[in-house]
Amino acid sequence: MVKTHRILMFMVFLLLGLLISLQFRGIINNQEGNISVKEMAARLEAEEAEGRKLLETLNSLEAEWSQLLNNIGSRQRDPEIMELIRLRDYEYFRAGLTNVRGDGIVITMQDAQTAGDNIEDYIIHDADITGILNELRSNGAEAISINGERILGTSKLVCAGPTIFLNKSRYPPPYVIKAIGDPDILYDAIDQLPNVAVMRLYGIRVDIRKEYDMVIEKYRLYESVDEWLSTLEVVSE
Amino acid sequence: MKLFKTMALTLVCLLLGIAVAWQYNSVNANLVLAQYEKKNLSQLVEELLLERENNEKLRARIEELQQEVAALKNDENMDMKYVEDLKKAVLMARVMAGLETVKGTGLVITVESGGQIRVRASHIQELLNELKASDVQAISVNDERIVATSEVREAGDYIMINGRQLVPPYTIKAIGDPDKMEKSLNLMGGVLAKYQIYEFNVSLEKNDNVVIPGVRDDGTVIRTDRLTPVVQ
Repeated sequence: MVKTHRILMFMVFLLLGLLISLQFRGIINNQEGNISVKEMAARLEAEEAEGRKLLETLNSLEAEWSQLLNNIGSRQRDPEIMELIRLRDYEYFRAGLTNVRGDGIVITMQDAQTAGDNIEDYIIHDADITGILNELRSNGAEAISINGERILGTSKLVCAGPTIFLNKSRYPPPYVIKAIGDPDILYDAIDQLPNVAVMRLYGIRVDIRKEYDMVIEKYRLYESVDEWLSTLEVVSE
Repeated sequence: MKLFKTMALTLVCLLLGIAVAWQYNSVNANLVLAQYEKKNLSQLVEELLLERENNEKLRARIEELQQEVAALKNDENMDMKYVEDLKKAVLMARVMAGLETVKGTGLVITVESGGQIRVRASHIQELLNELKASDVQAISVNDERIVATSEVREAGDYIMINGRQLVPPYTIKAIGDPDKMEKSLNLMGGVLAKYQIYEFNVSLEKNDNVVIPGVRDDGTVIRTDRLTPVVQ
């Protein structure tokens, strides 16, 4: 009787010991997981801060470069150089490398607040946005930006999880699309787009408003121009 | 003595019960947490790598500009360098705008209806979006250069790009990394898989000398009449 009792006690304590060590290990592991996520987030934040600093440096360098060219040009009063400066400003303007001002519309898109069975129906996809871009272009939009990123002919726009990858950066919703053109024509075109009606049916908010005298930012050139041009050969006609 | 033993046993059993419940709970919670963290972590790593790559490119651009600024400041006989810089800036802007004819490595894709289904504007648009997603430098459809203001729309039985009617077969040219483009087009459930279901005749050819013409420069495609440049 006493022997069985002892064996029983032994078993119970063995189990208890096992459980406690298991639990303890679980807690430690969990903390490790937390640390690496936190660490990664901190590293990402540092990298992003570095990016903002670099962008500032780039902007001031661009301004300095442009100023230097202008100063030299006006000092020399060389008609050929004055003409080249004028041409450069004009081509930068046409290429989307200059901030521009004009009338147009602003579209704000936000994922549905409550989702039903199929979550895919309640979030904004790249095709929804590219469809709107195409409609804007068909109706005479002359400059377009999404969340401040100027959209060019070869601009990349893809879904990346719950965010959208635009040019070279990632943006979460809401998506703010600005387009300069005839405000009335653009407004009607987007408001009557079948896909916009479908999105609204699912609770995706698509607000459109006419905006006058707004600014659309320039395309941010942030890679080596020499490198970019090196893979293209310009064929003169 | 017996009372003590019973009490001890009861206490131990009670503790054991609590421990089991606690452990069960915590394992469950950990599973949920681990899943969440794993997804978050890989996402974070991905974003970090992306941010790093962007910063590298930014640094390259900054270095390039710094050299140009230094050259402008120091060079005694700066006329040549100066004119050269301006010309380069003009050319770069014209290439970006799509006004220059360019040549490079890329893909040439032809698409044509092979059965009941006609090739529609939306089919072409989907292909263009996929190409843009793989970092192309220039694209054209039947030699109409795709620029910032280019639309792709339905016009009766044909499609219209840059205000011009295009007739099939549609030839899409893209300058960029051909392998990267081909890979993204061939993805499961991707554009080419859909084209197969529509029974389109598709050909895809890698070429080292893809020539893409500039867009016509008559103010009808690249329009600026409603834009005013903002002086910075």
